[in-house]
Amino acid sequence: MILIGELSLWVALLMATWSATVSFAGGRMGRADLAASGERANYATFAFVVLSSIGLWSALLSSDFSLRYVASYTSANLPAVYKFAAFWGGQQGSMLFWCLILSFYSAIALYANRRRNRELMPYVTGTLAIVQVFFLATTAFGANPYARLDWIPPDGTGLNPQLQNPGMATHPPMLYLGYVATAIPFAFAIAALISRRLDAEWLGAVRRWSLVSWLFLTVGITLGMWWAYVELGWGGYWAWDPVENASLLPWLTGTAFLHSIMIQEKRGMLRKWNVTLVVTTFLLSILGTFITRSGVIESVHSFAQSPVGSWFASFLVVAIAATAYLVTTRLKDLEARAELESMVSREAAFLYNNVVLVGIAFSVLWGTLFPIISEAVRGSKITVGPPFFNTVNIPLGLLLLALTGIGPLIAWRRASVANLKRQFASPVAGGLLLGAAFFALGMRDPYALVSYTLAGFVATTITQEFVKGVGARRRMHSESVPLAFVRLIARNRRRYGGYIVHLGVVVLFAAFAGLAFKKEYDLALAPGGSFTAVDPYNRTWTFTSQGVSRYEELNRQVTAVVLEAKQGSRPPTLIKSEKRQHVDSRGMPTFEPSTEVGILESLRQDVYLVLHGVSGEETAEVRISFNPLVWWVWYGGLIMAIGGLIVMWPQATRQGASRAEGGYVVALQPTRTEREPAEAGV
Amino acid sequence: MPTRREFMFALGAGAGLVVGRRVDAQQGAGIPGATMSGDGYVPVRRPPKPGATSKLTDLERDALERRISCPCPCTLDIFTCRTSMPCGFSPRMHADVVSLVNGGYTADEILAAFEQGYGEKVLMAPRAEGFNWVGWLAPFAAVGGGAVVVAALIRRWGRRAAEHRATSPVPIEASDDELARLEAAVRGEDR
Repeated sequence: MILIGELSLWVALLMATWSATVSFAGGRMGRADLAASGERANYATFAFVVLSSIGLWSALLSSDFSLRYVASYTSANLPAVYKFAAFWGGQQGSMLFWCLILSFYSAIALYANRRRNRELMPYVTGTLAIVQVFFLATTAFGANPYARLDWIPPDGTGLNPQLQNPGMATHPPMLYLGYVATAIPFAFAIAALISRRLDAEWLGAVRRWSLVSWLFLTVGITLGMWWAYVELGWGGYWAWDPVENASLLPWLTGTAFLHSIMIQEKRGMLRKWNVTLVVTTFLLSILGTFITRSGVIESVHSFAQSPVGSWFASFLVVAIAATAYLVTTRLKDLEARAELESMVSREAAFLYNNVVLVGIAFSVLWGTLFPIISEAVRGSKITVGPPFFNTVNIPLGLLLLALTGIGPLIAWRRASVANLKRQFASPVAGGLLLGAAFFALGMRDPYALVSYTLAGFVATTITQEFVKGVGARRRMHSESVPLAFVRLIARNRRRYGGYIVHLGVVVLFAAFAGLAFKKEYDLALAPGGSFTAVDPYNRTWTFTSQGVSRYEELNRQVTAVVLEAKQGSRPPTLIKSEKRQHVDSRGMPTFEPSTEVGILESLRQDVYLVLHGVSGEETAEVRISFNPLVWWVWYGGLIMAIGGLIVMWPQATRQGASRAEGGYVVALQPTRTEREPAEAGV
Repeated sequence: MPTRREFMFALGAGAGLVVGRRVDAQQGAGIPGATMSGDGYVPVRRPPKPGATSKLTDLERDALERRISCPCPCTLDIFTCRTSMPCGFSPRMHADVVSLVNGGYTADEILAAFEQGYGEKVLMAPRAEGFNWVGWLAPFAAVGGGAVVVAALIRRWGRRAAEHRATSPVPIEASDDELARLEAAVRGEDR
């Protein structure tokens, strides 16, 4: 199977090369037979990448240590689920995994468009095939997971303990699914630029793929935060690490695109901007991968420094040059008659939202790269860590939160003063009331106060929109409230799904602000010893040590402390934190000891226990943290994902309902020069 | 619109600039300071001040440690590193911080001492001075500049819309009030 897998990798590379060549030739020469051959070769690429992946999975699961990759990232006693997940645990395997997702997405995109967008498809196929050629060539020549060892070791090194977490099975695949999905809109944009077919056709085809990318990135980033929180033991979920930043960048520009695309759909404007955003989102995905894999920037996530970095740098330079050439030589084709009646309009709010989103993306990229820039300019090294990112991004984030509430309240085209008063009255009151309530309760942190005031404003905005919508349906169709609510969303998924995403954003910001009130205690507890602590809600907790225990479990030696936590009249609960020393099948230590935190979860706060070490025989040195509202971070991510799914879900075509959201705009603009279907290809 | 020749020229010039200025990876670079131990740890010690008492609470000391970068590959601050994935550096650096705090040094003095030992890289964020201002201000300048550009564009598009309305061959024969009512009605129906 290993031989078949290795051979399949090379055949896939040949297939992708053929696909790229004949697809572009077919498009250029107008030869449908060549274009069809290119598409078939692309399907074949997918089939061979699947075979190659099966080969690696089979080697991992059967612990074939003749492969360097298997010996480096697994051991005989590694649980099967982590052997499976080790596929993407190292440089070489994750490259093949990227190829697998890319070829899978490509096959889906080609199949979905087998009867649509036929003028674009040869170039779409060709562009996707070029990206595949790059990834397959990098895998085959620079990071081959089938590289053999000169001798077969009795056991492998094992998987890093911090990767032995359920997050390993879910977070990387989700992020990869998000990153790689940006390639499809990129391919359509390149195809539209090459063929100069820059009307609404390509845009309709890419919207759903952009949503797929956005959705997976949202889920992936949230899972990454959860993983960091439960695994690393520092009580936080976002450290502004370069690799975390790399995942945020395409999410930010992708979010900007999903907003600005609405202006092009409704008004035919922002063609250059939207092409730029689509291309930038893909290039940022590649840049993120370069950052992760090159070792140019230090990161806790980084793979070892390897030649793959120079492959990515080269590809990035070529891709930037090619797209810059295409965009600059097609500027005239991207011209649109732009008109905007007022600075106080939904369109203008979207534009400002784009400025802030792209501004945050810039600040994150800038902060990530500034150590390199500083070193190049001044010759001295600096660190750009959380203090910088928080100082810069918290104000921008709050501005974005404000715009999240302002946008939906302003009418398209032009808002009258009366309209603004009517729309803003309740949300502003809601926000101020919440802010005043928190102030009265003693909250003095300025960022937290602003955050909760804005959260109240946006939440009231969303509620107002739903109340109005449900009320209108009830009046018109005599529906019950639940039925009207469900149908309101079902009949206008983009709009109300979007509001649900906004609700998720509100929940996230409220949860982020909660961490400002975190409380921590360092203590040493002998068996039977107690400690009293006060949480952020001024409630008293008593922690009593139940002693330290040492035992062996699966592939590790464990030292654990158990504390009994008691608050008020509630029954006591036990929390356990562990120090784990992972060992190979011969009982030899494989990695530095790792920490397994104990978490007592609730919606209000987490009680977070970390065992630092054991002094003497049984005195446990621990840190107890009260982390307010952390679970709302995961719920915020979940709500955003649900909203994204609703937006993405295909809308059944109803007679006369194709412009449900913007119907009145058409009625007020009979002389429009360009009309683009809002739901084209969606 | 640039020609292909102009574009290729610009591309070549850009590539030349990139190749001409090689940027080294950060990894593997040494830490300035002659007192560095073999593994890169630099003891940061000062004699206690006369009649020294700690000027920082434990929480303030933790906050200070969050401003000091750990030299291990974790890229975290020493507080986060020593409490989550302790390496060979952060516990020793923590001991140095505790010693300085007990020696009566202020947070700024302790930061300066670490900077002297390890260089500016030991600070989790660059000091707001000199070229670092570019780093601190560029994001705000970008957002501010973007907002100004967008505002200018909206004004231009607004003028264009006004001209278009003035020359529109199919004027909408309705008063503002009628249009507002129409819009409200359609909005209601829309929901």
